Amino acid sequence: MIDRLTDHARRVLDLTEAEASRFGHRYVGPEHVVLGVLRDGANGAAELLRARGMELEAARAELGRLAERGVVARPALSDAELLGTLGINLEAVRQRTQRTFGSQAVAQATREATRARRRGVGRVAWTPLCGPPFLAKRVVGLAHRQAGVVGSAGIGPELLLLGVLDDITEPWPRCMSNRWRRNLLAYVGLPADYRGAARALLEASGVDLAELRGALVAQVGEAPR
Amino acid sequence: MNETVHGEVTAVAAATGSKDPEVALAAVAALRGLVEVLEALNVENARAEGWSWEAIATRLGVTKQAVHKKYAGRRFRLGRSR
Repeated sequence: MIDRLTDHARRVLDLTEAEASRFGHRYVGPEHVVLGVLRDGANGAAELLRARGMELEAARAELGRLAERGVVARPALSDAELLGTLGINLEAVRQRTQRTFGSQAVAQATREATRARRRGVGRVAWTPLCGPPFLAKRVVGLAHRQAGVVGSAGIGPELLLLGVLDDITEPWPRCMSNRWRRNLLAYVGLPADYRGAARALLEASGVDLAELRGALVAQVGEAPR
Repeated sequence: MNETVHGEVTAVAAATGSKDPEVALAAVAALRGLVEVLEALNVENARAEGWSWEAIATRLGVTKQAVHKKYAGRRFRLGRSR
């Protein structure tokens, strides 16, 4: 799924993470993907958003208002800053650990410590070693599904934004609400009923979701395959 | 605007150890997350090098049953593909 992302979409996801940390969010959600698409700028999805009056700076300010209203988390210190208050250099720990054990082992140990079947023994909500939790996984999954529908080999930024829109409308399976996840949401400062705030962000910016989706589908269909 | 506010909070917190529970408790939680992963990595490494549960437990300062309960049966391979 991830490996079908184009280089351009990967850059957008890097900017997505940058937008989340710039705001002081300890997670990455669909709303940050919208910001990432806008910040990248040089893609069809951003053009469509700009044509509907959505600009990066205004959207950032809008996210700030959503945080005040408690729809998304308020700005908080990142793990690196928190550990910094204890005199621990997270980056140094990360580099040494990865050099010693390899990044694959670190990733597996992370899974082990966070959500493995440990019957509650020493289980933690999240670990600082692997960056902020990526809560927009379903966006990528739905973009992938949409790529299949239009017969596109790679997933570009346009399909990513389409994934964001589908993530808004697609109902959430019950398994997405479990104790570990609620714990994680609380840990990063999100309300328990958080389902991504892309809808709130887009609507507050005056974007008509159904109309935008139509325009995106038309654009993706026309794009060279 | 948010960036400035966030920046100020960061600067204050980073310069001093914080006594504000909001920051201090979150820092402890982050530290615990770090410790759990380091423990898992090193226990796995020790097992791969043939250490007994008892030897590992002694070094960690817990009982061998505690380490076994936490880590037995969920071995992952350090940095090696399957």
